[in-house]
Amino acid sequence: MGERKAQSELYSMYYRSMYSVSLRILGNATDAEDAMQEAFLSAFRSIDSYQGKVSFGAWLRKIVINRSLDQLKKRKMKFEEVTERNAGLEEDNTYIGEVDVRRIHKAIQSLPDGYRVVLSLHLVEGYDHEEISQILNISNSASRTQYLRAKNKLREILKNQEIYLFN
Amino acid sequence: MKEKDYIEKVILDNLDALDGMEPPAGHFERFEERLKGESKVRTIHWNMVWKVAAAAVFLFLAVNQALIWFVPKQTQPLTLAAVSPQYAEVEFYYTSSIRTGLNNLNSLAGEGVISAEENQMIHQEFEALENRYEELLKDLQAHPGDERVINALIEYYQNKLNVITLILNKLQEVKQQKNESHEKEV
Repeated sequence: MGERKAQSELYSMYYRSMYSVSLRILGNATDAEDAMQEAFLSAFRSIDSYQGKVSFGAWLRKIVINRSLDQLKKRKMKFEEVTERNAGLEEDNTYIGEVDVRRIHKAIQSLPDGYRVVLSLHLVEGYDHEEISQILNISNSASRTQYLRAKNKLREILKNQEIYLFN
Repeated sequence: MKEKDYIEKVILDNLDALDGMEPPAGHFERFEERLKGESKVRTIHWNMVWKVAAAAVFLFLAVNQALIWFVPKQTQPLTLAAVSPQYAEVEFYYTSSIRTGLNNLNSLAGEGVISAEENQMIHQEFEALENRYEELLKDLQAHPGDERVINALIEYYQNKLNVITLILNKLQEVKQQKNESHEKEV
């Protein structure tokens, strides 16, 4: 029973960040909670395989990412393949000013699945495009394109909100 | 690479806060439920382990007991008698005939019809036959009821009895000749 208490404590310590990770990948609260909690349970089940090489949080995060990706793959995701039209995608890098966290979060959540996943895997979780292309079964350049488009879309959303906010 | 990417910067700067999202209300309770379900699964699992362990111990004890019961029989290896009562009769006939023959042989040896050396030689021959017998018994143990092994065993008994009878007859002849020659001498 001491084990159960320790498990609850670990959950309390990590559920926010793990939920956030899952939510950024899956984009909806119910699925994210489900994947996050499943990841906790599977981590507890395989706690013996945790060798302490990385922090527990990092180990758990990896499990959460994998769980969430598994769940995500059940959906049909659309990734824009590189065409001549979008090959020379330009990056708009205008300054968007200070933005508050809730709005960034909302903006990320509003991205299409494909954009959001690549953005969070690459920018937040630190996967390179080669890894992402393997995980999502897309081409390396498709991953790069998704990433650029995701950023442009985010910029657009945040700018518009800015305008909306000040009007 | 690029000097500055505001979008990347804005996200990376707020990573801690972005990682602090709160799941829908009641997630704690839902997780507790899942944990409970999990430990239930685990106790069932443990029950199974105990059952299996108990079964294993029981099996071990049963086998042990069986071994204790059957050990005396095992020291006397399975013979034809174990195959069927008919074969038991056949076997009894041959073994008793062979035993009688051997006894006669011994008594003849005792009378000095054959020398101790000759007697020893005969017994060595029988020992060689004995090896064949043990091999056949092993075969019978491996294939109980196999007609070929049973026939081979019966054949073995017949041959052994034939040999003994042959020797006995010869010895009887020799004995009679000796007696006759004694009589003549007398």
